[in-house]
Amino acid sequence: MPINVSLGDLSNGLLLATVVLYALAMLCYASDFAFARHRVMAGLTESSGAEVPAAELVAAGSGGPALSVAASNPSAATARRDESASRWPTGFWLRLAFGLTCLGLTAHLLAIVTRGIAEHRTPWGNMYEFIAAFTCMAVIVLVVASVWYRAYYMGLFVMIPIVFGLGIDLTVLYTPAGSLVPALQSYWIAIHVTAMIVAIGLFIFGAVVTTLYLLASRSVRRLAAGQPSWSAGILRHVPAPAVLDRLSYRSILFAFPVWTFGVMAGAIWADHAWGRYWGWDPKETWSFITWVVYAMFLHARATAGWRGRRAGYIQLIGLGCLLFNVIGVNIWVSGLHSYAGMG
Amino acid sequence: MTATEDNVSTPEATAPGRLAGLGPVGWLRWGWRQLTSMRTALILLFLLALASVPGSVLPQQGIDPAAVSQYFQSHPSLAPILNRLSLFNVFSAPWFAAIYLLLFASLAGCVLPRTVRLLGSARQQPPRAPTNLARLPASAGYRTETGPAQALRQAKALLTARRFRISEGDGWVSAEKGYLREVGNLLFHIALLALLFSVGLGGLFGYKANRLLIVGQGFANTPTALDVFRPGRLVGPGNLAPFAINLHGFSAKYVSSGPELDQPMSYDASLTYSDRPGGPVRHYQLQVNHPLVVDGVSVYLIGHGYAPIFKVTDGTGAVRWDGPVPFVPVDQTTLTSEGVIKVPDAKPGQLGFAGVFLPSAIDAGGRLASAFPAALNPRVSLVGFTGNLGMNSGQAQSVYQLETTGLRQLPMQPQPLAAGQSMKLPDGLGTVTYVGYQQWVSLAITYDPGQLPALISGIAALAGLILSFLIRRRRVFVRAAEGADGSTEVWLGGLARSDAAGGFETEFGELAELLRAELSATTTQPFVPERGELATPDASTPAANDETPDTASVSASREGE
Repeated sequence: MPINVSLGDLSNGLLLATVVLYALAMLCYASDFAFARHRVMAGLTESSGAEVPAAELVAAGSGGPALSVAASNPSAATARRDESASRWPTGFWLRLAFGLTCLGLTAHLLAIVTRGIAEHRTPWGNMYEFIAAFTCMAVIVLVVASVWYRAYYMGLFVMIPIVFGLGIDLTVLYTPAGSLVPALQSYWIAIHVTAMIVAIGLFIFGAVVTTLYLLASRSVRRLAAGQPSWSAGILRHVPAPAVLDRLSYRSILFAFPVWTFGVMAGAIWADHAWGRYWGWDPKETWSFITWVVYAMFLHARATAGWRGRRAGYIQLIGLGCLLFNVIGVNIWVSGLHSYAGMG
Repeated sequence: MTATEDNVSTPEATAPGRLAGLGPVGWLRWGWRQLTSMRTALILLFLLALASVPGSVLPQQGIDPAAVSQYFQSHPSLAPILNRLSLFNVFSAPWFAAIYLLLFASLAGCVLPRTVRLLGSARQQPPRAPTNLARLPASAGYRTETGPAQALRQAKALLTARRFRISEGDGWVSAEKGYLREVGNLLFHIALLALLFSVGLGGLFGYKANRLLIVGQGFANTPTALDVFRPGRLVGPGNLAPFAINLHGFSAKYVSSGPELDQPMSYDASLTYSDRPGGPVRHYQLQVNHPLVVDGVSVYLIGHGYAPIFKVTDGTGAVRWDGPVPFVPVDQTTLTSEGVIKVPDAKPGQLGFAGVFLPSAIDAGGRLASAFPAALNPRVSLVGFTGNLGMNSGQAQSVYQLETTGLRQLPMQPQPLAAGQSMKLPDGLGTVTYVGYQQWVSLAITYDPGQLPALISGIAALAGLILSFLIRRRRVFVRAAEGADGSTEVWLGGLARSDAAGGFETEFGELAELLRAELSATTTQPFVPERGELATPDASTPAANDETPDTASVSASREGE
């Protein structure tokens, strides 16, 4: 079937609109930090022993049912009957930012769907489509975490790499809508690559949270020692390091089995297409390395003396391996996955 | 066999004076404990990741031998050193094997004792409730008019209904849940061991082979009929499935316009096969992603190309060659292909030709080039040689290369031949005719008995992983006693034994509220969710002090992996 060119153009326009909306959302998240009459979040006050609004901790730390418990007992309820106990964003800038994020995500999803219809296939056949897909997944994770864990403070920090990544994708890596080479014509593309996209979106979100965690815990330590901390200003808007650590760990706990499944699905597909389930192709090797490093992270986090900052650094190394696999291997190393790459 | 640093910091492990007096058994035990410690496992994991890197950066013998020999040519001084370090064979190198075998030994050393302990604890009861439940990471207090015994009965019923394992004593109820977490964790690690064994099984009893097949030809699955045959260590020639395959046609479709010009759309090989000599002949359309499976052996379409047909008549007028010669694509987008024809029987002199096949020949500025991978305008250009081809020297020769040292190039103007055109050779050496072309496919034949075990191991590993991530092991305690004013004071306390990701607070909050409603009690100390970070089971919590050493070591071992 021929490629539907006008629908492909519509997809391009939608993705461009997505980047613009995300960029505006990013500015609004930043404005929320800068202008909103902000509650000081738990992060830097907790360690110094100052009063912490209980609602903030609840808001950042736990899910809905805990709140209903709180509401059922009157003494706690007074402390929690605070505007920020709401699941939904509060304040002009944050509402605007979140609205723009959701609008951008809608455009993003539509861009992917129209692209798929234009090409009559799952639209993850090349690097342009792949990046568009996993950035979309990262934004979905952001939106879910925002509502579920009230992690609205992540908006700015997640949007920065997303806008940057999508911008590169649209300019440098743009590939017109087209068909697939025979090696990719398999239903396994919908299984293997989708799993990878979901996992990468979660891994990216986890890494952004971990970066914030490392900054926050450094800042907490420095302030506790009476030293200046350059990041203290912006980290006022972020919850305690332990809360960040847990949020990041949650996303990795989710991502790791999905990644494991994706690697396995890839092995089954490789067996269908090339006659072996594992052949140490560079892409396979690096997905293995990524898997091992994230496994290290999970082990480190369960080991005394490694949890905390050290585990955080291991997780960031894991994301480094992941991104090298997604981008570096496609550009610098040739292998059986080369069709996924550039030109 | 615990995974925390506890064992590293135990006195006998750190004090050098004690080490000296350990004796051989003590040393062995010390070494085994080091090997199975979590820190060692972490370091081995890191080494495994690091050791894989050169395998993706440097060309590998098992994946792309041609790239390796090219690397040897372009780095003549460096390559032999790298080769000595097995860096062109990373994944079969002794040092790579050393890392993963140590890792799996460490894994086995950790997992097996834990399995034994888990089996032993299958019927174990939760420990008695700590005295002061308010000191637990999660706690709540109530006052109710219900009597203490009745309150405990109701609490027990509530916890039993939620499928907790219960033990009780004077004034307390202990409940524990989530034993499947350890089961999942162990399943994951044991499945990884099984996966390694499956891979080994495939390496011993499986084989890989390649065969190039021109349309119209056939072959039987025997070692001599295969171009490349890599048997596993325990595979003999008689172990090959005795099927036979004939190739009847091949078609490739390409995008003929637009930005994706030249991109292939489909490959389709039409073949017949029988699973044994004299067996029924069946038809199969072999495509990429659609392998043919015969007798447990899979046949894959992995490549294709052109085989121009030549007819070579020598100086005596005898036809010395008449048939297709497979040419190897040197440009994958336009399928410009190269190949050689060797005619050792030609008289008066042996003849050799090096040729270029252009599927869609065009004139690119005075030079011939192919514009498209399909054979729209096929042309062949030949350079002829005469002299001793060296085919009787006993040395193995590639059929795709012509060793031109010792040969004399024939003084001819290279001219592109269309189908049916001939070229007369100088000095009365004969003529060569380009008759037409045929297509060839390259087939990969693999047999891997480790495949199904590997798949099952993989699924088991994933199931174990999900189980251990989803399930929390947690304990809930209830104490009830008569208070000073005659009403009953009820305390609820809980801790997650392995709940680094949170979520226990939610469950505890629900339990606290249910218990309050059940006892129609008033809250004296509310449950404050954020009190305990629940990041790790903390050894200093009162509950941990109450534990028997046995369960304590279970919780301290590699949980949360």
